[in-house]
Amino acid sequence: MSSQIRASTASAPVRPARPSGLRWTLPALAFVMLFFVVPVAALLLRSITEPAFGLQNYVALLGSSTYLKIFVNTFLVSAVVTVISLTIGFPVAWALAIMPGRLASVIFAILLLSMWTNLLARTYAWMVLLQRTGLINKMLIGMGLIDQPLPLVNNLVGVTIGMTYIMLPFIILPLYGVIRKIDPAILQAAALCGATRWQSLVRVLLPLALPGMAAGALMVFVMSLGYFVTPALLGGTANMMLAELIAQFVQSLVNWGMGGAAALLLLVVTLALYAVQLRFAGDQRLGDR
Amino acid sequence: MRIAIASAATAALLFTTPLMAADMVFTSWGGTTQDAQKAAWADKFTAESGINVLQDGPTDYGKIKAMVEAKGVTWDVVDVEGDYAAQAGKAGMLEKLDFSVIDKTKLDPRFVTDYSVGSFYYSFVIGCNADAVATCPKSWADLFDTTTFPGKRTFYKWSAPGVIEAALLADGVAPDKLYPLDLDRAFKKLDTIKADIVWWSGGAQSQQLLASAEAPFGSVWNGRMTALKESGVNAQTSWEQNITAADSLVVPKGAANKEAAMKFIALATSAQAQADMAKATGYAPVNTESAKLMDAETVKTLPDQQTASQVNADMTYWADNRDAIGERWYAWQAQ
Repeated sequence: MSSQIRASTASAPVRPARPSGLRWTLPALAFVMLFFVVPVAALLLRSITEPAFGLQNYVALLGSSTYLKIFVNTFLVSAVVTVISLTIGFPVAWALAIMPGRLASVIFAILLLSMWTNLLARTYAWMVLLQRTGLINKMLIGMGLIDQPLPLVNNLVGVTIGMTYIMLPFIILPLYGVIRKIDPAILQAAALCGATRWQSLVRVLLPLALPGMAAGALMVFVMSLGYFVTPALLGGTANMMLAELIAQFVQSLVNWGMGGAAALLLLVVTLALYAVQLRFAGDQRLGDR
Repeated sequence: MRIAIASAATAALLFTTPLMAADMVFTSWGGTTQDAQKAAWADKFTAESGINVLQDGPTDYGKIKAMVEAKGVTWDVVDVEGDYAAQAGKAGMLEKLDFSVIDKTKLDPRFVTDYSVGSFYYSFVIGCNADAVATCPKSWADLFDTTTFPGKRTFYKWSAPGVIEAALLADGVAPDKLYPLDLDRAFKKLDTIKADIVWWSGGAQSQQLLASAEAPFGSVWNGRMTALKESGVNAQTSWEQNITAADSLVVPKGAANKEAAMKFIALATSAQAQADMAKATGYAPVNTESAKLMDAETVKTLPDQQTASQVNADMTYWADNRDAIGERWYAWQAQ
């Protein structure tokens, strides 16, 4: 609320400062406050009050090899998904930036359509495609490449494929924005100076695209950390992720103390990464000026 | 903190408000089972009493806790698992049932407590897609025998009566010596097939796994096999040592329409309503008079007739140990 006061002083006629625009965000802030911050804080509070006041839930969570394994696994899956998304997404973003506008808009439409399709429907579709008797295994067997169906679902492979697919647009879109701003003349200049295509890519294009890569990668990584539906449906219990553990505590075991503790740990990591992202974004803006 | 949750609950109320005073809400697990409950119980109840029954779901024990604590209970009758009912009653989460409205004299006493009555009861059976394998496993020991029956097998994912019992029976424990459960022995047995288990988290998924032969056999709810067979899959059921467990009907503490809830439960557990439900789902009625109202062919396929080698999961034991078993179960799964 103090920010509201500050905003109104800022727009006082005495010293016409740039309006902060903060007041226009008040409805949204109030909404988030009431329906997100307050309930979340209430749950987090339970992590130190249930069953008794103290840090016992955190001790239990961090002291157990099982839960630590779930933490490690969550980071591992998120990292793998981020690296693969980046590797596949970069060429797409580049191609989109240099291809004729009409073709690019078709590709964008495909990307966005996939984003707008119901997440559950998409995940079930992957289940059908990846299972032992699914399309992919049938094709590979039909082509004589394998004798036995590959285990593509209910394991880490399934989670990685499903999540990478969902995360791709989130890495392609920021990358496209950055790559498009790169002046093609710079690449021509590199070529004129005798750079091979590989050298132009590694020493010119990649460094210039780095802010976009960092922003996209962080976004994908952070989103992956808290992902629930895809790991729950395409993964097995042996590579459970943190969000599944939280759901288990809250819904099945009805142990909100532990659920709150796990949620707080996830929140802390996410906020820390968000702080990193802000720094990158800040640098990028400075570069623009 | 209360207020915080209350505000969230009020918000939930605001968004679901086409509730009139005479309405009530029934919550179950969705899918074909809830469709059957709506047809056999809710629609008939509305026709008789004029009280509209709104359907909600799926059942979520976290939500029940949130509503009861925030004193904003929007669910009037909830279909829950029997072991949860026994535990939640003791924990003060449920209303005592009014047995002057609900006639319990005809109800299977195994599933009646002060706070709950049976909803329907089911068996964990050994289901198999006979077209996908050379031979179908017949016993729990077969299901744990990866040499004779290689390939993936599917089991219920959540910590609940059924899988631990199956592991102990497969390991040779006599049915009357199951309780108290020897968890060390059960997990040791489960370890032997852990790499070959695909977990199912909902009934529809168990059917999908069997039908697609992703996991051609496993421990499933008997009603799902009935439905799978009707859909044209060569689904075979082995009733050997089938393990029964029941769903229960409960009224969360502080439910807004308590009176209507009691009347609803009275109708839902009546002989005819239970018979209709059993016919539609393949699950057994909890009313002992219902069998008379069904044709002999249907009755034969229900769990209450498969008593030759039947094993009853001990809901009281589970209620007392639900938390401890749950923690160990999920930790074992994640290892």
